[in-house]
Amino acid sequence: MTSDEVKMPNRDAFLEFCRGKRLGEVPLYSWFHKYWAETPAAWIEQGAPKEIATGEGFRAYFQLPHAHGLEEVISEVNRADVKADSTAQGPGMFHITPPVVPVFPLKVIREDEKHRVETTYGGCTVEVSKAHPWRMPKYLEYPVRDWTTWKEYKKRLDPYTPERWPKDWPAFAEKKNAEDSPTILLMAGFFGVLREWCGLERLLYLFHDDPRLVEDMMDQVLYLIMGVARRVVRDLRIDAIRFWEDMAYRSGPLISPSMVRRFMVPRYKQVTQFLRQNGIDVIHLDSDGNVMKLVPIWMECGINFPWPFEVAAGNDMLLLRNLYGADIVFGGGIDKRCLIKSKDAIREEVMAKVPPLVKTGGYFPGCDHTIPPDVPFEHYKYFVNLLRELNGQDKLPD
Amino acid sequence: MQDELRTVAQAVTEGDDTKVVALVSEALEEGTPASVVLQDGLVPGLQTLGERFKDGTVFLPEVLIACRAMNAGVDVLKPHFSLGDRPSKGIVVLGTVEGDMHDIGKNLVKLMLESSGFDVEDLGTDVPSEDFVAAARDTRADVVAMSALLTITMSSMSDTVRSLEDAGLRDSVKVLIGGAPVTREFADEIGADGFAEDCVSAVDEAARLMQNRGGAND
Repeated sequence: MTSDEVKMPNRDAFLEFCRGKRLGEVPLYSWFHKYWAETPAAWIEQGAPKEIATGEGFRAYFQLPHAHGLEEVISEVNRADVKADSTAQGPGMFHITPPVVPVFPLKVIREDEKHRVETTYGGCTVEVSKAHPWRMPKYLEYPVRDWTTWKEYKKRLDPYTPERWPKDWPAFAEKKNAEDSPTILLMAGFFGVLREWCGLERLLYLFHDDPRLVEDMMDQVLYLIMGVARRVVRDLRIDAIRFWEDMAYRSGPLISPSMVRRFMVPRYKQVTQFLRQNGIDVIHLDSDGNVMKLVPIWMECGINFPWPFEVAAGNDMLLLRNLYGADIVFGGGIDKRCLIKSKDAIREEVMAKVPPLVKTGGYFPGCDHTIPPDVPFEHYKYFVNLLRELNGQDKLPD
Repeated sequence: MQDELRTVAQAVTEGDDTKVVALVSEALEEGTPASVVLQDGLVPGLQTLGERFKDGTVFLPEVLIACRAMNAGVDVLKPHFSLGDRPSKGIVVLGTVEGDMHDIGKNLVKLMLESSGFDVEDLGTDVPSEDFVAAARDTRADVVAMSALLTITMSSMSDTVRSLEDAGLRDSVKVLIGGAPVTREFADEIGADGFAEDCVSAVDEAARLMQNRGGAND
């Protein structure tokens, strides 16, 4: 693989992989090899080259073509908090920030030796571990508590706010369209951002106590993402879209399938019908946990590309492939516990899943969530080399 | 009386807290002892809900509203209990292990344990092993329950098991663990006594552990 291919993968090839038209090949894209902020530092201590500390260096080292998530348009998670220099990330860096424009000001409320309590761009108050500032914090307060707080909050969720868009949109669009890199439009889901606004417990109560409020929040998400999608699809070539949901835990969905059907399906369908009318049929969805009861509902809605298929939660990609054939595309699905454990465990896991899945449809193998720092560098390199071996590619250079 | 208590149970299962409060008050006015309303009305309601959760016919929102209804009923009963009337099913020290700030699963476990009659000492998140040990000693806990969401923090669970051993508490306290990457095999590996995959099974597992150590704190 040449360095040019590393930087500029062919977007048609990406779509062919997604549509199950390159059976037997193992697609390797950076999108499915995301990692915790702590991971490169841990790997450098284990002897990895220090260049992997940056995203570009990481991709170059592992020879992973880049799929571009359209973070320049704020429609899913607001990346206003992402600093260009990953070594200089300040407070709030990895708090999920729902797509609010303008963001809320950051403020440190109090701190002690171990923890810091601060506000986030999304309007939450969180407690952060000073020893592990990049890990998910404990959420103490949420901005949406009732109709009054919601009516204020929703003012920040207008698709037409100019600051939501790159300043010179025509120039941005022209530049993006000239690139041959798969481009993924990021979209808020109908559950994930609501739990960031309300907190999970309050949201779960609201489904029973005030379903109208839940529906109003979901309608605002629909208004936001459809407004964004109309302009983006008109001016940009988009290869896939990604919903962020996080609506399951290790035993199953956080709400019942009947609630998903009542609250979410009609709204999903509006979005996916619009996308399909515009030629976009690769609909990716990010949800942790056991999604086996959710996949059939998503498939009905045209959402055909779930990630990350956490193994410890009991997900079974092979079973779903038997059910849906090449109509379903998978991402992730390699047990992080095997990546931690040993090279033998990695080989066993990869050989059980990758060959049968790439022979029968689209599958982008990767860790079953972002790569944690307890995966040893040598194990991950072995994993990538094993995937390359299955592809008939040379090993990564030492 | 049995019909009335069945109605109380049904209202708990359905998560109708307003109805639970009315029915429990009515039962008390009619002279039903508080302990009977609790054991034959409220508790079976929550147990039924737990069974439905395990069957996959109800989900977390229904668990939450059922616990809320249960707790509303218990609040009505409380002034009618004399000291010692309401048996505790056991004392559980609960927390998310050191290095881990996740608390959603832990909070749901706490809610279910308390609603089911356990006394819970919640240590919060990012809890070092010495704090689990100190709380277990101070509260004379029956169970130490630990949660971890990250593979990298699972080792804190085995640290705590060792610390409990070093403190000479391991024979008097059972260890229960859970969390996204945690499995029964891992529980066996580190010498934990129980493993729960969700908030409902945490109650079952805690009850099983109490039986193994010789019953509730009646």
